[in-house]
Amino acid sequence: MEQKDDIYYIEKVIEGQTNAFSYIVEKYRDIVFSIALKVLRNRDDAEEMAQETFIKAYKSLHTFKGNAKFSTWLYRITYNTCISEVRKRKINYTSTDEVEIKDEAEEMNLDGIPEENRARVIKDAMDQLPKDEYTLVLLYYFEEQSVDEISKVTGLSESNTKVKLYRARKKLYTILNDMMKDELYTIL
Amino acid sequence: MNELEDIKLKALLQSMKLEKPHEDFSARVMNRIFEESNVLETIKAQRVLGRGFWIFILIFAAFMVVTFFVMNSGVPAAGDSSQLIPALNSGISESYNNFFNKLGTVPLSIAGILIASSILLFIDRIISSNQKLFTS
Repeated sequence: MEQKDDIYYIEKVIEGQTNAFSYIVEKYRDIVFSIALKVLRNRDDAEEMAQETFIKAYKSLHTFKGNAKFSTWLYRITYNTCISEVRKRKINYTSTDEVEIKDEAEEMNLDGIPEENRARVIKDAMDQLPKDEYTLVLLYYFEEQSVDEISKVTGLSESNTKVKLYRARKKLYTILNDMMKDELYTIL
Repeated sequence: MNELEDIKLKALLQSMKLEKPHEDFSARVMNRIFEESNVLETIKAQRVLGRGFWIFILIFAAFMVVTFFVMNSGVPAAGDSSQLIPALNSGISESYNNFFNKLGTVPLSIAGILIASSILLFIDRIISSNQKLFTS
């Protein structure tokens, strides 16, 4: 249904109704901005790149054939635009790869996270993931994209995507575990 | 990691609130898009071939028509054109014949290079005058 909606508005834009593009902007702005923010780590830069992404998408909308999901196509533009910008500016980030994956991460009880804190806890945990792993987890769990679609967005092979996704998931569990422990210590 | 945990993680992640850009973000994006759209429309509306080109073509066509009538022996009612203005007409005919005779001796490869260069220059002119259209 969502894809059908996207196609409907895309066709309107191609026919010359530029206004119809605002549906696309409204629908995808938060996720495009979130990816850009994770990669660039600066709100102003992220807004600029998110804007650039939508303009690029608008200009090349006629090249979108509809074989893949529109969201996959748009996220690929987002990811590539942001990565190119990082390379252009030669921004060096300290990676959070030092997060040590612990075996206990597998046994974490997600139900143990208090409901009222869930949104904040998960956001804080996600913020600690490196940009590539953040994008993988966000696309797989939040956007419910398949491994095949994610590999198209990131340019990784399917097997590499699976491995990275597995590692990202374990790392996220480790971070969540540590956060929950800290919260427990605070309460006690 | 079992499937149930995966589903739980999905539910947990979907409860996450995404980062939001500035409130006027969508308006700014749409303004830029309208600007881009206007630029593209203007470029599309612009003529690729300027007025100078068409004037040149007209002069060339006129020259060809005049040449045709001058060379056509059956045109003057009272006889050959050389009988009307003998000196001038023979001069024009001679130059014309010399020019085309010399042109005929130009090797085919040189003619090919000249034509190819002209085409390339013409394409370059089109691309440079519509740079925004080609880079979009």
